[in-house]
Amino acid sequence: MRPDDERYFARIEDRLDEAWDVAEAAKEQGHDPKPEIEIPIARDMADRVENILGIDGVAERVRELEGEMSREEAALELVTDFVEGTVGDYDSRAGKVEGAVRTAVALLTEGVVAAPIEGIDRVELLENDDGTEFVNVYYAGPIRSAGGTAQALSVLVADYARSLLDIDEYKPRDVEVERYAEEIALYDKETGLQYTPKDKESKFIAQHMPVMLDGEATGDEEVSGFRDLERVDTNSARGGMCLVAAEGIALKAPKIQRYTRDLDEVDWPWLQDLIDGTIGKDGGGASDEAAEDADAETDDGEDAGTDPNEADDAADDPESDDSEAAEPDGPLRANSSQKFLRDLIAGRPVFTHPSEAGGFRLRYGRARNHGFATGGVHPATMHLVDDFLAAGTQIKTERPGKAHGVVPVDSIEGPTVRLANGEVRRIDDPEEAKEIRNGVEKVLDLGEYLVNYGEFVENNHPLAPASYVYEWWVQEFEAAGADVQAMEDDPHVDLEHPDVDEALAWAREYDCPLHPEYTYLWHDVSVDAFEALADAVAAGDVVEGVLAIERTDATQTALESLLVEHVATPDALRIPTWRPLARSLGVDDGLRKTWDASDLSTAAREWDDGENAVKAVNEVAPFEVRERAPTRIGNRMGRPEKSESRDLSPAVHTLFPINEAGGPQRDVTEAASVMDDSGHRGRLELEVSDRVCPECGEHTYRAQCPDCEVHTDLHYECGGCGTVCEPDEAGRVECPRCEWEVTAATDQEVDLNDAYRSALENVGERESAFEILKGVQGLTSRNKTPEPIEKGILRAKNGVTSFKDGTVRYDMTDLPVTSVRPEELDVTADHLREIGYETDIDGEPLRHDDQLVELRVQDIVLSDGAAEHMLKTADFVDDLLEQYYDLPRFYEVNERDDLVGELVFGMAPHTSAATVGRVVGFTSAAVGYAHPYFHAAKRRNCFHPETEIEYRDGAGWHRETIEEFVEDRLDDPETDDFGTLVDELDADVYVRSIDEHGEPTVQPVTAVSKHRSQDHLVEVRTTGGRSLRVTPDHTMLRVDSDGLRDVRASELSAGDDIPCPAGADPSSVTGETTALADGGVVTDEISTVEPVASDVDHTYCVTVAETHSLVTNNLYSKQCDGDEDCVMLLMDGLLNFSKTFLPDQRGGRMDAPLVMSSRIDPSEIDDEAHNVDIAREYPREFYDATLEMADPESVEDLIQIGEDTLGTDEEYHGFGHTHDTTDIAMGPDLSAYKTLGDMMEKMDAQLELARKLRAVDETDVAERVIEYHFLPDIIGNLRAFSRQETRCLDCGEKYRRMPLSGDCRECGGRVNLTVHEGSVNKYVDTAIEVADRFGCRPYTKQRLKVLDQSLESIFEDDTNKQSGIADFM
Amino acid sequence: MPLESNARIAKELARHGYNAEREAITLLASAPDSADAVESVVDRAPDDALRITSDHVRAVTNGRSASDADPTHESPPARTGDGSSPGASTTRSPVETEGSSSGPHTESHTTADSTADSTADSTADSTADSAPHHDPDLRDLEVGNDMTGQSTGTGEYGDFVRTFRDRYERLSKVLRGRVNHRPAEAIAEMPGGSDAAMIGLVNDVRSTKSGHWLVELEDTTGTFPALVMKDKGLADLVDEIMMDECLAVEGTLADDSGILFADSLHFPDVPRTHRTGAADRHVQAALISDIHVGSDEFMADAWSRFTDWLHTPEAEPVEYILLAGDMVEGVGVYPDQDEELEIVDIYDQYEAFAEHLKEVPADTEIVMIPGNHDAVRLAEPQPGFNDEIRSIMDVHDARIVSNPATVSVEGVDVLMYHGVSLDEVIAELPEEKASYDEPHKAMYQLLKKRHVAPQFGGHTRVAPEERDYLVIEDVPDVFHTGHVHKLGWGKYHNVLAVNSGCWQAQTDFQKSVNIDPDAGYAPILDLDTLDMTVRKFA
Repeated sequence: MRPDDERYFARIEDRLDEAWDVAEAAKEQGHDPKPEIEIPIARDMADRVENILGIDGVAERVRELEGEMSREEAALELVTDFVEGTVGDYDSRAGKVEGAVRTAVALLTEGVVAAPIEGIDRVELLENDDGTEFVNVYYAGPIRSAGGTAQALSVLVADYARSLLDIDEYKPRDVEVERYAEEIALYDKETGLQYTPKDKESKFIAQHMPVMLDGEATGDEEVSGFRDLERVDTNSARGGMCLVAAEGIALKAPKIQRYTRDLDEVDWPWLQDLIDGTIGKDGGGASDEAAEDADAETDDGEDAGTDPNEADDAADDPESDDSEAAEPDGPLRANSSQKFLRDLIAGRPVFTHPSEAGGFRLRYGRARNHGFATGGVHPATMHLVDDFLAAGTQIKTERPGKAHGVVPVDSIEGPTVRLANGEVRRIDDPEEAKEIRNGVEKVLDLGEYLVNYGEFVENNHPLAPASYVYEWWVQEFEAAGADVQAMEDDPHVDLEHPDVDEALAWAREYDCPLHPEYTYLWHDVSVDAFEALADAVAAGDVVEGVLAIERTDATQTALESLLVEHVATPDALRIPTWRPLARSLGVDDGLRKTWDASDLSTAAREWDDGENAVKAVNEVAPFEVRERAPTRIGNRMGRPEKSESRDLSPAVHTLFPINEAGGPQRDVTEAASVMDDSGHRGRLELEVSDRVCPECGEHTYRAQCPDCEVHTDLHYECGGCGTVCEPDEAGRVECPRCEWEVTAATDQEVDLNDAYRSALENVGERESAFEILKGVQGLTSRNKTPEPIEKGILRAKNGVTSFKDGTVRYDMTDLPVTSVRPEELDVTADHLREIGYETDIDGEPLRHDDQLVELRVQDIVLSDGAAEHMLKTADFVDDLLEQYYDLPRFYEVNERDDLVGELVFGMAPHTSAATVGRVVGFTSAAVGYAHPYFHAAKRRNCFHPETEIEYRDGAGWHRETIEEFVEDRLDDPETDDFGTLVDELDADVYVRSIDEHGEPTVQPVTAVSKHRSQDHLVEVRTTGGRSLRVTPDHTMLRVDSDGLRDVRASELSAGDDIPCPAGADPSSVTGETTALADGGVVTDEISTVEPVASDVDHTYCVTVAETHSLVTNNLYSKQCDGDEDCVMLLMDGLLNFSKTFLPDQRGGRMDAPLVMSSRIDPSEIDDEAHNVDIAREYPREFYDATLEMADPESVEDLIQIGEDTLGTDEEYHGFGHTHDTTDIAMGPDLSAYKTLGDMMEKMDAQLELARKLRAVDETDVAERVIEYHFLPDIIGNLRAFSRQETRCLDCGEKYRRMPLSGDCRECGGRVNLTVHEGSVNKYVDTAIEVADRFGCRPYTKQRLKVLDQSLESIFEDDTNKQSGIADFM
Repeated sequence: MPLESNARIAKELARHGYNAEREAITLLASAPDSADAVESVVDRAPDDALRITSDHVRAVTNGRSASDADPTHESPPARTGDGSSPGASTTRSPVETEGSSSGPHTESHTTADSTADSTADSTADSTADSAPHHDPDLRDLEVGNDMTGQSTGTGEYGDFVRTFRDRYERLSKVLRGRVNHRPAEAIAEMPGGSDAAMIGLVNDVRSTKSGHWLVELEDTTGTFPALVMKDKGLADLVDEIMMDECLAVEGTLADDSGILFADSLHFPDVPRTHRTGAADRHVQAALISDIHVGSDEFMADAWSRFTDWLHTPEAEPVEYILLAGDMVEGVGVYPDQDEELEIVDIYDQYEAFAEHLKEVPADTEIVMIPGNHDAVRLAEPQPGFNDEIRSIMDVHDARIVSNPATVSVEGVDVLMYHGVSLDEVIAELPEEKASYDEPHKAMYQLLKKRHVAPQFGGHTRVAPEERDYLVIEDVPDVFHTGHVHKLGWGKYHNVLAVNSGCWQAQTDFQKSVNIDPDAGYAPILDLDTLDMTVRKFA
């Protein structure tokens, strides 16, 4: 770490300490549920693990072990510590096991999720039938977030601890074994499992499991047999247990086996059978399953879940398979994919149909506000798509990933439009876009779409051919011999936007491709159109420097497709900048055509079936013309951006219960003045915690004794026998006599009026200080600890509300940014200097507001809304300190500039760890901009993208590294003389393969093998950038004139063609059909074959039946949804967060800051951020590689990514970008989706936009909106109608079926439907109208008609229909 | 041997706008050149004729060829007696324990065409010049419980309440003779320890912690819980209980009067003494369902073999065809269905279905009800088709009635119901009581409950009407359903329950879940004896 970075972290930590001291002083006063700060600071993963568990000594031990072994091994190692008592303070044996199990799960989940605390309820010792003891691990639903490996390992750890503690194994009763099987099947049916063990497997696992897996009920459905078992306290499925058994043990058996082998104490020989898959081969409950599903199909299969056509990918594939891969006489293109269009929602428009001309053009580069899962769009485009796009709007994309957050980048090309007056022009200025947008008739082109290289690495997507752009051209120009440096320094030369003469001259003089500025989209016009245009131009006139050609449909369409700026008059097309066009058409300045039809070669004519004129252009033009925009990226709108305060519903100021007394508004003032029967005001019977004062022994619900002013303790009194209990080491309280859990919550009469008045007095406020003070109806925490009303009063006064844990939160969509200008953040250079920024990105001293500085990793930019909210929170915190805790104000903010340098917490959904951030500025965009590492530090994805081969087994397609794949299957290997391990596979595992005719097929894997590596391997590199390291005798495939030929790797030589998978859609996790539809062989030429020294101990291989080949095209795509993360003000979190407020239910502790990370260690963050590229420019070789659609890994040496600097001094800085943008908040502040009114308005706008965009087929959009939005809505509501619940309008009681009495059985009130006619048919008319207006398929129209008639049949009285006007006469 | 199949000839005649007598068709089929003969008949048929009779045919064939004037050909086929009728012997009638698709009682017609036709040739000659023996006057067909055109519900809360009250009233009537019903309200007032009985709709069934069952019944005054002890022997019956069915419980009130300890449970059930009606002549009805025209998997060939067979003398007694729903595959029944449709247009599907229907002898009476794939509402009861679809299928003049409906055919009451609720019965009940392999057992349950789709709020959709058309008020003689594409039949308390198979081969989906449909079977019911024979055409 550089000293500069040290200073930065020290600065943050100093401020943190400052706040900590203040908060500690406040907490010590004892007003709060706990007299100390409840968010411990974690400096690294080990700290987080310790803090999230609350077990002392874990962190130190984890750090010790971390360097020496893997986390899994460390988890097992820690078991010994727990057993010996060197870690953790457990007396009981059950406690030791519990501590070890929790720690193992925490370690494997990096201490970020709540699974270790929420997913494991407890561990207890029970008695076997023979009187021996066994261990029972009690799991809960949130164990799901731990993932299979951690789940499985938790069992292993429990068993290991068990054996060390000399506790006997669990000896299941037969009924219990049967119960496991029934229950797992039930859970799968109800909730769904990734892997469903067959009944026999479940029973097998249950029989052999040395510890008992137990858990709490997670569903309503009950098992029908094996009920009421003595040792199982529920008849419902125990979800946590099912997950651990099925997704943990059954699915991860090979992984666990690896660890059991190393442990002497633990022996799970039965795993082998599980791995072999010999259990349940004859398929136990298959007929049951069939029966269940049959019911789904034979009837209304509209339930999307039981889609009988699950393999619908097959449907897309014929379309997505238009790759010209099989045809050698066309350009290489990325396959188009329809997938992103699925589930199109009304009101969220499509911007580009898959790979459609006129849509977004792929440009490579990383703008400074660009990182993982983002796409750069020109702000003018944002305005021209009717403001549907704004910074942070999520879009679903065709490639390279699934979804992107949109960021404004104005250093790329803007959209091209045709105006109503006939003018076609490109708009590069957002202001201009706003001016002309009312006159836009058609958006001919949406402009460029900037995607960074790292995004392709992250998604492992083959590079798609790059647009020809300035940064590529200039490198070619330099390579052609131009003195680019000199030209750049020459004030008369604008290299990026040269004038016509210069551009033409350069192309001629340096024999360099034509400057992209004047390169038109020749690949989008046919050869015929090209010839027609050439003739038209040759026949045109030049008047005052403007070329006028005849206006015909053909010429106009051609010019519009080429994106040549022109003006259409009624009979002519006037082109101001015509010379590059004419030259490209082979027409000279004198409008003489220099060629005739016979000059065009057949190859050029037939290139891409004559649909692509680029070859023709190159034959007739006097210079080389590159393809301007070969890759178009389809996309549609996903979720809108978000920037709003997180409120409970209804909003809450104080976590103080007032029952029903406050009315629907939960008004505390009103509740405090309600008069009861005895004439007292505000006396309420509340369920709150019972606390006792250690000094005077008085009972109260308050955290501080009103008399002695000391902190009170929770008082646990058993409701059954009155025993006063004490919490055990795990914090649980159980009555020793009644054996049930005891909480401190009791019903007490509380004088709310007094509490409220005295609270007002305490903080010196009057009721007029706020409009309304809202409480909660009841508390959801275990001990029902209420918050002091004082805090609520001050929140209400400052206009902020509380989240369930007592904090004030603000949600913002994540966007990354690596460099900022003080100016755009609405701060000055002085502000930034004050907080430690010294130089700009070029190392110049920071003086001016428009200098670009590199953002520090933990600095964040608040949206305007967030800033305002934080200001209010700061005022609230200051008031709280001053008026409640009698401490000096901490923030003292007057304007938002004062927030600069203040610390906040950032948190991502479903995590339990907060990350400390520092406010650096503000933006008008409705997003939270921060360093990509900051966003990644908050998050944790479930997957690790280290996958290389793709295979299918009984459960579908999977991807795994070959090492894992083989290791998992080396069960009972035979060893040959050379140390090779070979294992025949029985289970059906298939991989994609290719047969001798080059036809792709899917073939079973018959064996896996692990070979001792030889001293040398052969590295084969291809011109396409692929590389492969194999043993010299490994059989490879070579493409010959007569098909494929087997050849030893050592016999390959440069120039040979080897087959490679067609650039299949990376996100297609589909069935056989995909593979079969992939058609054709793509080959790649070998560039080098070199022996390399082996750096591994083993190599792995799989044997594939029949064809003996497989595709190792490591296609992997990872979820990258733009999550909404939230920020909290630091002091607010320190002062007001308390675990005791959290709901006493599963998942209650998710989304709560159980621990904070004070500094980011880049190697511990989610690794998606490591793939952000940090180079300042992409080399020419990169662009060349894209044309070959090379694998992104093959060019990784050319472009530096974050991963490359990990662990070095440079890891915190040096994030270069290739593209600048004027302001990170350009474009609309809010997406039109958020500003438009109801759904209809949004949908109208969506369809209107579809008509306007050339790249969008409006009929398809209408069709999809009906298919994915309206039809499911109508069908769903119709179904809901005919099986609905009813509810009493007066008391709210719900009835599964209408009561026969008609009235409410509880209160006699009026009962009514919950689904009415209005909600069923609200969209029918619109849907029918849309189907008509946009010419949808008859199929769709008929479905609507049939539905409409169904509605009529249900909601209209047949005997009461008017047959015609005559009825009225 | 006929060059043309009977069905094709019938169809061809229909194309020209003619109906035809069975004998006429047989004659035409046996003509040396049937196609030619058909053309001539059409040419020479009197202008005012709507129906081609054997006379017309003979007039043509005689005029054309003397050798064809063989007198033996001038007679309609004689009815053979019961005993000699192939495939209809009484020993083959199913008994209650039977009901699998591949039992010995099915007769394969895949190769039987020729035999059947040759029988036709040899028998089609005994009597001459007799009047068409299908005397419409002998026929007797009435439809009850049809709600087509009578849907008065407007989807109001009150409509639902009315429907359930009607269910309660009509089914409780069945039970009232057996127990001394006291309203829930009154039971709650009774002193602890007294005996009490209650009839109500099942409101809730749940198990208690100690393994007993709590069944909550509801009547128009309120609800009352009954406790079924696990060791009482009644617990087994609890497995059969579905929500919202009508039930009677007898027992003793607990000391605090809060709960009724059940001693006995009663379902409305079919009385064991049920006496079936019968036709007073030998006449048969084909009970089929689930044709699924328009699906890629529709078995047109099997269907033609079936209709061909109908033209044979052997099939002569088959004067009725009862179709229990799913004539066509429909549109939008499940997501992306269009990709598996041979005919994507719903109206074209019905056109095609009408074409296939034309292959059926013109004088066969057809009654059909809609199913869940048809173009009517999914909520039950489903009214018969609308006029637009009726007009497509008007050629055969079939009776199109609602689902469910009761069809009385010459004294035999056939309850026709498509069978959507069978899925639910099979899912909810233990496998030995209802399974896809034995769909008739699930039907027994419905008979027992005297309601075709008791459970509300789950799988079955309910359209509220002024009465509950789904109640089985009168015990039928035959209960006919389809939907699950499995063949099964058996007798329950003298009521013949038949689930006809289907005419759709295994779909991809069925394959993926390992369901093997029973396709191409036609159960043929003797209306005079209520014996049934299953014929196989696939």
